[in-house]
Amino acid sequence: MKVGALIKRNKLLILVALAYLAIFIMSPNKAIMSVENSVYYLIEMFQVLPVIFLLTVVIEALVPKDLIIRGFGEESGLKGNFFALLFGSLSAGPIYAAFPISKTLLGKGASVSNIVIILSAWAVIKVPMLANEAKFLGANFMAVRWVLTVIAIFIMAYLTGLFVKKEDMRSAESGQETRELEINEGYCIGCGLCVKLLPEYYEMKEQKAVVKKMPEGKKAKQAVRESAERCPAKAIIFDMEEKAS
Amino acid sequence: MDIFTVMFWIIAIVLTAISLRKSKTKTFAAMKKSKGMMGSMLSDIIAIIFLIGLVLTFIPPETIKNVLGSANTFVSTVAAAVVGSITLIPAFVAFPLVGSLVDVGASIVPGVAFLTTLTMVGFVTFPLEKKEFGTKFALTRNVLSFGFALVIALTMGVVL
Repeated sequence: MKVGALIKRNKLLILVALAYLAIFIMSPNKAIMSVENSVYYLIEMFQVLPVIFLLTVVIEALVPKDLIIRGFGEESGLKGNFFALLFGSLSAGPIYAAFPISKTLLGKGASVSNIVIILSAWAVIKVPMLANEAKFLGANFMAVRWVLTVIAIFIMAYLTGLFVKKEDMRSAESGQETRELEINEGYCIGCGLCVKLLPEYYEMKEQKAVVKKMPEGKKAKQAVRESAERCPAKAIIFDMEEKAS
Repeated sequence: MDIFTVMFWIIAIVLTAISLRKSKTKTFAAMKKSKGMMGSMLSDIIAIIFLIGLVLTFIPPETIKNVLGSANTFVSTVAAAVVGSITLIPAFVAFPLVGSLVDVGASIVPGVAFLTTLTMVGFVTFPLEKKEFGTKFALTRNVLSFGFALVIALTMGVVL
């Protein structure tokens, strides 16, 4: 059973390893060449991934949810799109490095359109790359391609926002992470409404509400979500991120 | 490490320090969560990296050059966009490659299509993107990126 889960989780890695094995048997030179080609990207990964890890931690721990919603959420409008473009452009690293960051932002309330902008800008628009492009292909070429790309990114973001809803993205395999129910103690005014509503899940400690138990099942989650909506200080943080298991 | 990556490191470390000072428990909880999320991606990322190495061996820059420089602009543009989607070569290889073609008088349209899909469309990263954001999102984003790469390339052919 355990082996099955391990294989399933590392499906891609196993497939690639098998491909390498097959190529190694048929033409060892090609396999060695492929490993050599990969080294550059491996180094890049080790340079960038720790930073990405720290940044997701910071976004999760330090940035309040409503700030993300205001900055990158559905209602953030053109300003939000612009922020997303700037954020993506100022990044470093390959596109897969943008996935953990985007996922964290999405969980904190960023809109689908802005995620598209961040991912695309992250991939295409990089200051060192622009300098490189201007050097080999001319400043004119670089500038025109940059303007066209930005326009294309905005149109793509708009179209994807129309076509893909957040629910579609939630159905993605969410790994083993569990979305916790949390109370922002800085916001809680200790009114006790949530404890009155759902004594099963909340309790008062030192005049602040704390979470007693994680809700399980669809019904409980729905009730908890309602309680989060009714909290006068909006201190209860709860995402129905994962599908009811 | 280029200067941007270094700056990225500094910013991340400073922000983490601030976060730790503000609330240790919250930061550690977030670390645990991020560890879970990135841990589940790591095996795919390593797989992707070795896949890139494999693709580079079988579609080397010389092959790409032949595709980009072939006589029929329409065919070579579409082919260039496809090749760009599949491969992932570093920018410092891609720009000189396209530059050398333009210098000898080849059309810029296939080159632009190649440069744009190279970064925006990810054939090898698709499995990971699909896993993290859902099939519909990954498919929509990559298909749109492919289409717009062609539009950008054709527009540049007209403008420049």
